[in-house]
Amino acid sequence: MIMKKKFIKILLIFFFQFLINSSYAVEPDEILIDKKQEIMARNISKNIRCMVCQNQSIDESNAPLAKDLRILIRNKIKQGKTDKEIYKFLTDRYGDFILLKPPIKLITIALWFLPFVFVLIGFLIIYLHNKKSKKIN
Amino acid sequence: MIKKQLLKTPFIVFIIIVSIFFYLLIIDRNPSKIPSALINNYIPEFETNSLLKSEKFYSSQEFSKEITLVNFFATWCKPCRDEHTYIQSFQNEKGLNIVGINYKDNSEKAIQWLKKLGNPYSNIAIDNNGKIAIDWGVYGIPETFVVDSKGVIKFRHVGPITKKIYKEINLLIKELE
Repeated sequence: MIMKKKFIKILLIFFFQFLINSSYAVEPDEILIDKKQEIMARNISKNIRCMVCQNQSIDESNAPLAKDLRILIRNKIKQGKTDKEIYKFLTDRYGDFILLKPPIKLITIALWFLPFVFVLIGFLIIYLHNKKSKKIN
Repeated sequence: MIKKQLLKTPFIVFIIIVSIFFYLLIIDRNPSKIPSALINNYIPEFETNSLLKSEKFYSSQEFSKEITLVNFFATWCKPCRDEHTYIQSFQNEKGLNIVGINYKDNSEKAIQWLKKLGNPYSNIAIDNNGKIAIDWGVYGIPETFVVDSKGVIKFRHVGPITKKIYKEINLLIKELE
């Protein structure tokens, strides 16, 4: 019985750990006083790739460059810059790679639309296959 | 007949995809290498303190005279020490200006470091908070750029200079001349 309770406790700790781990790397001194501005900064940070770790956003990364960029974004917001202007500032320097979602451009068309094309081909094949087997029956 | 051929398409598509993957595997390619957004653009202008000179560092005065090699370095960065011999070899190149940018470093340590290992740089800019590096799209030092005599960025390498990269830069400099 005691063992079972202990086990549940450990499970609970693990569970809450997961909740906490889904948080972010933003440090207290970075956070803006204006809540609206802070939310804007967080939303932008979530879309910006940490160039050092490459598969994390700067919102999640503890790398020094990620911190620098988070502060830079917050400073730009304080100056009254819009989302668009901030994204442009970053892509001008680091290229489209800094965006976690590749923008729809001529060279990324295949990346965005080929999956749909493949699904359509799949449906077509299933349709033709069914038609054929019906004939045999 | 047409339907039969259509049924073959998944197989053909599969073969094509596999061959593309295989091709990408065997060619000499580094997937983590990121193209610079700054290639063929003018250098980002900046002014800051100079590490060794009393007067300020103005990018407009340092570049756009001759071909310039720009090297972001710091004493705390081990690969920077490794590539230092290559940076020094570039000194023998005629008509090549070598500029260093000391990234988030302790100036005193940097001066000591250069005394010990030799100073190949004609001038060194201090980038205290990493702002200059961000303007240059730098994300991991050491990073090296080649800027032509008009002030246009022609080449960028992330990471320490190796023998291969050294040769590549040498060729490029000859081309630019």
